[in-house]
Amino acid sequence: MILIAIIIGCIIGALIGMNIPTIPYTYSGYLAIAIIAALDSVFGAITSSLKRNFDMKIFISGFFVNAILAMALTYLGQKLNVDIYLAAVVVFVGRMFNNLGTIRRYYVEKLASNKIIAKAEAAIKQANEASKSNK
Amino acid sequence: MNKSKIILSAIIGIICTILVCVMYMQFKIVEETDITGIEAAREEELQAMLSSWKTRYEEIEEKLTETQQKIAEYQEKIDSNEQASELLDEELEQTNLLVGKTNVTGEGVVVTLKNNEEKSITASDLRTLVNDLKLAGAEAISINDSRILSMTEIVDVDPYILVNEERIISPYIVKAIGNPTYLSSALSLKDSGFIDNYTKLGKTVEMEQEKNIHISAYNNSKNQLQFRYAKEVKE
Repeated sequence: MILIAIIIGCIIGALIGMNIPTIPYTYSGYLAIAIIAALDSVFGAITSSLKRNFDMKIFISGFFVNAILAMALTYLGQKLNVDIYLAAVVVFVGRMFNNLGTIRRYYVEKLASNKIIAKAEAAIKQANEASKSNK
Repeated sequence: MNKSKIILSAIIGIICTILVCVMYMQFKIVEETDITGIEAAREEELQAMLSSWKTRYEEIEEKLTETQQKIAEYQEKIDSNEQASELLDEELEQTNLLVGKTNVTGEGVVVTLKNNEEKSITASDLRTLVNDLKLAGAEAISINDSRILSMTEIVDVDPYILVNEERIISPYIVKAIGNPTYLSSALSLKDSGFIDNYTKLGKTVEMEQEKNIHISAYNNSKNQLQFRYAKEVKE
C-alpha cells in the first residue's frame, strides 16, 4: 500500500516537474538546498521507521520546516556575505550518510540473523529426525 | 485495511510528489541554464567581469585620447603645411610674373615704330626703347606679342629683326605695362627723350597711353627656357 503510494507520487511529481515552467537561475540555489533538506528528512523517516519509532507529525514538520529553514538561512547568508548554505549542505549530507549507514547496518544484521536462524532451524530439524529414528 | 494506513499512504504519496516535482524542476533548471550566459552568472563572476570591462574601458579611453591628440597634431601640421604651400604658391606666382610665364594685363603705354620711305627701324632702336621702358619701371614688355625676358635677344638679321628667335617686321608694336605717367614722360622728355630723339632722326614713332593692355606669356616652343650650363651654387 505505502509502496504503491510512493511510486504513484514519484510518477505524478516527475510529470508535474517536467511540465512546470522553470524559475530563474538565481533562485536555483535555494531550491537545491530545499531538496537536500527534504531528502535528509526522507532518509531520517526511513531510519526511524526501521527503528520502529516513526512519527508522521515529526516527519512532515521536519520535511517542510527543514526545507524552509535551509532556504531562509541561505538567504540570510547571502545578505551577510557568508556562505551559510555550505554549512546546511554539510549538516544535511552528513546526516543523510549517517541515516544511510544505519539503514545498511539494519539490513546487513537482518540478513546475518536470518542465516543464523536458518542454520539453527536446520540443526533442530536434524536433531528431531535423529530422535525420531532413535525411537 | 484501516483508515489511518490510507491516510499515511496518501501523505507519503503527496510528499513524494512534492519532492520529485521540485527535484525535476531543479534538474531542468540546471540542464537548461547556459552557465556562460550573463543571466546565469553569479554575483562574484559578474563583479569580476565588470571590473575587467572597466579596466578595458579605461585603457581604450586612454588610447582614444591619445589618438585624438595625435589627430590634433596632424591637423596642426596640415594647417602649417597649407600655410607653407600658400606661401610657396604666392612665391611661385611672383616668380612666374617676374620671369614672364603668365599672361598679364594692366595700364601702360603702346609705342608703335614703323619703317618709312627714308629710314627703317633697326634692332638697336628697339633695344634702346626697351631699355628706356625698363628704366621707367615697366613691368612687362612685348614686341609684336613676343614677350621680352631677361634672356631675350633683339638683333638685326636683314631684312628682319629677330626677337626670341622669331622674325618680326614693321610695324613694331611695343607694349609696356607699368605706371603710364612715368613711362610716357620718360619717353617723351623734351630733346633727350626717345620719341624726340628718333623723330628728329626721321623715324616714325607713335606713343599711346592705354588703360587695358594685354601681354601674353612667353610662349615659344622652339626656345624653351632651359639652363644647361649655368648651375646654381649652393652656399
